[in-house]
Amino acid sequence: MNNLLVKIGRGVGGVVGALYQAGRDSVETVIRNILPFMVFISFIIGLVLVTGVGDVIANTISPLAGSLVGLLIVSIVCSIPLLSPLLGPGAVIAQIVGTLLGVEIGKGTIPPQYALPALFAINPQVGCDFIPVGLALGEAEPETVEVGVPAVLFSRLITGPLAVVIAYFASFGMYQS
Amino acid sequence: MFSLLAEDATVGEPTGVWGAIAGGAEYFIGIFNEGGAVLTGLVTGIIPTLLVLLTAVNALIRLIGPEKIENLGKKAGQPGLIWYPVRYLVLPVLAVFFLTNPMAYTIGRFLPERFKPAFYDSAVSFVHPITGLFPHANAGELFVYLGIAAGITTLGFGLGDLAIRFLLVGLVVIFIRGIVTEFITSRMMARRVAA
Repeated sequence: MNNLLVKIGRGVGGVVGALYQAGRDSVETVIRNILPFMVFISFIIGLVLVTGVGDVIANTISPLAGSLVGLLIVSIVCSIPLLSPLLGPGAVIAQIVGTLLGVEIGKGTIPPQYALPALFAINPQVGCDFIPVGLALGEAEPETVEVGVPAVLFSRLITGPLAVVIAYFASFGMYQS
Repeated sequence: MFSLLAEDATVGEPTGVWGAIAGGAEYFIGIFNEGGAVLTGLVTGIIPTLLVLLTAVNALIRLIGPEKIENLGKKAGQPGLIWYPVRYLVLPVLAVFFLTNPMAYTIGRFLPERFKPAFYDSAVSFVHPITGLFPHANAGELFVYLGIAAGITTLGFGLGDLAIRFLLVGLVVIFIRGIVTEFITSRMMARRVAA
């Protein structure tokens, strides 16, 4: 009987401890990573909505983001091996462009079903800045890194636009009446 | 009585140079008022749900123990067609879910050298498609999805459709990326050995 109680007590304590620690981690993540970015994004949206910048963006981005050909052009540009490592860091560029596109989708200048292919079109460069570090985390030999960096970069040139095409066909029937 | 007073108290807008300066000041503060309103929307609309979700998933990961997927990593390096979906679909998905960005890439250490770049490509390409449903996996880069999703919310549509399609297309894309990058890597390694 005593043993059972101890077991139950330990089990419950373990679960509660895990939950509490998880809550602590979550608050930490929100304060350190999420809130600062929200503030930054809010400033950009405020700027876009109040100033005329929004109209300029609407006129340049919307025709590109509102058609398959336009999205393909965006994805090819973002996956050029020389550009993609520059566009990658922290996904900052992809996040800003995503936010700007979101504003345009909300205003109705870009049809909502283009949200899905757009998510892939603005992001073929994901992780291209991080290849040596990512491979080092996987304990790769220096020779593997030497081959791996160009291999991933060139692969993106093929798979980046391909992802947009797949997403385009997968978006049929989404948010359409 | 008070309403009458208020009407009497209405002042004309400042004109001339001073008017222009005052107008400029209002425009200037207007940008930040708008930004503040957007921030309020984000904080009240996203953060409470996000906190609860993050806590639940983090607790689940703690209780399961992320080291379990290391065993799968050891198996996934075997040759053969059956191991392709394991290596570039199951393994990266579990790694990103349980270890999150950037620790997910450490699972690559269980694979032979020739598969490492392809595994990295596959795993890193999943860190955004997963955020629609499981934001804990890449909490620092949520706005690729959230930015575009905000537009859908503005239009009054639900996000479930977009989130699940983003995830599913993401799965297809990381599988293709793994295969293509593995092919390119093997060609480049062969050329290097020949040279």
